[in-house]
Amino acid sequence: MPRFLHSRIVPIILLLFLGTVEELASQSITLQGGNQTLGITTGLAGSEPVAVINTASSIDFTKANVIQKVTVQTSCLGQRFGLKVVVTSTTLGTPAAEVTLTNGMPATDLVTGVPKRPPGPNNGSCSLLYTASATFAQGNSAELGNDVHTVTYTILAQ
Amino acid sequence: MTLHSCIRLLIVLLLFCSLSRVETTQAQPTDNHTVTVTVATITALQVSSGSVNLSITGAGVVAGQDLMTTVDESTNLVWGINSANRKITAQTGLVAQNFTVRVLAISPTQGSAASEVTLTTAAADFLLNVGRSSGSCGIRYTGLALASQGTGSDSHTITFTVTTQ
Repeated sequence: MPRFLHSRIVPIILLLFLGTVEELASQSITLQGGNQTLGITTGLAGSEPVAVINTASSIDFTKANVIQKVTVQTSCLGQRFGLKVVVTSTTLGTPAAEVTLTNGMPATDLVTGVPKRPPGPNNGSCSLLYTASATFAQGNSAELGNDVHTVTYTILAQ
Repeated sequence: MTLHSCIRLLIVLLLFCSLSRVETTQAQPTDNHTVTVTVATITALQVSSGSVNLSITGAGVVAGQDLMTTVDESTNLVWGINSANRKITAQTGLVAQNFTVRVLAISPTQGSAASEVTLTTAAADFLLNVGRSSGSCGIRYTGLALASQGTGSDSHTITFTVTTQ
């Protein structure tokens, strides 16, 4: 019995745990580019302020042993202005439609179908494009303050 | 290997794996950053292009009536304002006027028209309650002359201004 334990069960348990460890470790996502600010400064008479875009952010993520997706959500108390995000290119998976970021929104798909490994590279990345917009009726930051979003990206099994 | 040593080995392995598991769950399945949206104070005001000519020719004038008038509604004003409590005023740059010109906002899509005013070099209310809005209105100019004022012409540069109400 002891010899049996040593020769069979222990390696199996070890492999199982290593496998678990490996899979957990692979669920990784990292934002690149740091915090961002989008400033709306011009507007057209008879129309609306001109929306601005920002492409300074990207996401690095890793494959896992399951098909994954990337979701986005935001928290912005007292939100007054508009903010959207869309993936303009991704090395793995498929970009979802542009997402309107609103305070308290549920997690919404941003990239779907990130393939499981193997084959191919274990790491992927995608580029983000933020669009900020406002209407004249929504006012300005001097009177109402800025919108400060905490935008959270999550990678999880699809 | 004895049963006791196997159990000890198992315990060591399980402890190792548990520690590894704790450590690796710190790999981030989420990440976040802040995105700040700022909106500057924006005031955009535009008068439709083209000059306005108010000509009093005497056509249709009734004998014995001193006051003659003419009206033009060919131009309009569009605006976009994201500040609260704003109005639009009108004034002329012509100090010495031979004749009189009055102005009135017609059919504003936002706010409310002020009463018709005679243009002077002092700003007079033209549109009220246009804060945080985007809209348009027609501009009605009325030229007035008395027969006793004779003939001549006035050239006005008319300025519309967004200001605090």
